[in-house]
Amino acid sequence: MTDKLDSDSAIAVRRLCKEFGVLKAVDGISFELQRGEFLSVFGPNGAGKTTLIKILAGLTRPSSGTAYVAGYKVDEGGADMRREIGVISHSPALYADLTPMENLVFYGKMYGLESPHESALASLEDVGLVPRRHDRVRTFSRGMVQRLSIARAILHDPSILFLDEPFTGLDVHAAAVLKEHLQNLHDKKRTILMTTHDVSCGLEMCDKAALLVMGRLTFFQDVKEVNKENFATMYFDAVRDNPFTAGIRQQG
Amino acid sequence: MNLFLSQVAAIAWKDFVTELKSRELFGAMFIFALLVILIFIFSINLSVVKASEVGPGILWAAFLFSGTLGLNRSFMLEQENGCLMGLMLAPADRTVIYFGKLISNFIFLSIMELFILPLFMIFFNIDILEHLLPLLFVIFLGTLGFCALGTLLSSLASNLKYREIMLPVLLYPLLVPIVIAVVRMTGQALNGTPLSGMMNWIGLTVSFDIIYIGVSIMTIDHILEE
Repeated sequence: MTDKLDSDSAIAVRRLCKEFGVLKAVDGISFELQRGEFLSVFGPNGAGKTTLIKILAGLTRPSSGTAYVAGYKVDEGGADMRREIGVISHSPALYADLTPMENLVFYGKMYGLESPHESALASLEDVGLVPRRHDRVRTFSRGMVQRLSIARAILHDPSILFLDEPFTGLDVHAAAVLKEHLQNLHDKKRTILMTTHDVSCGLEMCDKAALLVMGRLTFFQDVKEVNKENFATMYFDAVRDNPFTAGIRQQG
Repeated sequence: MNLFLSQVAAIAWKDFVTELKSRELFGAMFIFALLVILIFIFSINLSVVKASEVGPGILWAAFLFSGTLGLNRSFMLEQENGCLMGLMLAPADRTVIYFGKLISNFIFLSIMELFILPLFMIFFNIDILEHLLPLLFVIFLGTLGFCALGTLLSSLASNLKYREIMLPVLLYPLLVPIVIAVVRMTGQALNGTPLSGMMNWIGLTVSFDIIYIGVSIMTIDHILEE
């Protein structure tokens, strides 16, 4: 079997499953995303959003089914596939005792960039952190760390970005700045898959919207065809019926 | 190959710079090793016991216990802020992460050992300068084996809930062959035996070093993957 898919799809997922013992975190998901498209995946806590991103980023293997990212089969693509992707997660993947420059130069070397210093500086410029480039990351606010995390993720100019709840813990201003940066990345024709709880923001930014509930994709549609009010109701129903939150309500 | 080496060097250099800035690890390792030696000094009557007979065991106990502190910290640094995920996303073979961490662990422990050796010489009144080269060679082999296995198990333990407890529990039983060999060789080196006189022990230690590194190369991919 070939590990490269010849297609215009940036991401192609077919009957993807991931099981942890008896728990099915991802349960038979199938969808396709064309190059340059922005998909927002909504879902309550424990719906399988992070697991989906981990599988697509090659950080964990699927139990069954297949997924292609940038034409590579995720469990076989290896280093070639990882060159094509950038991931922004809840955790910034930055060393707190190093400066932004030191962090980005380090990652630049790990990605085998020809001139890691220049690339690091260019990425810092993109996210407006050049003036703080020699301060330790430990001294940064959550919003600045998240912007630096974007700089890390785009350092090697990936064609596909995975964003796992990038707005978590940000105040309104920081979220607005981050949203602008993400919009810029999308304008540069990058394919983006973002998981989020923020319905209005997620729908505003994306080309396609999906709803993931208990590991299953219950909704996948072009955002132009989505009625935002109905979608919000559907999302909040999913959150209300989610076993995790239901458990919390019962305890309360 | 060049990319592989530059990625390994980048990880080791990053650990070195982080330690220079945070100064969390080296001081703790050194003080711990010093304390181990001091406790033994006060519990042993050196006018009754020959220093060159008990010294090697005490020296390696100090190296291994303080080295375990370093190993515990090694992958914890990567777990903080999800940095291990950042490393695993890089287009690099996963053995790059292993060798990068192995080299930084080896360098930190070796520097600590170089600071402890003169103190050991003073406390035990042993002249190690006469037999310095064989002694350094033995310490090199022992430290390499310890770090080779320790780095692998530290990556494994870093995903466990009780990682500080699990690392020594997993590590020390598997280290027994190397510990026996290096303690014997250190004793022989301090008594003036040339390296040619301890070839059996050298062979055993080199074999275990190779086995530990080989097993690590084969398993690190699965261990790092969640």
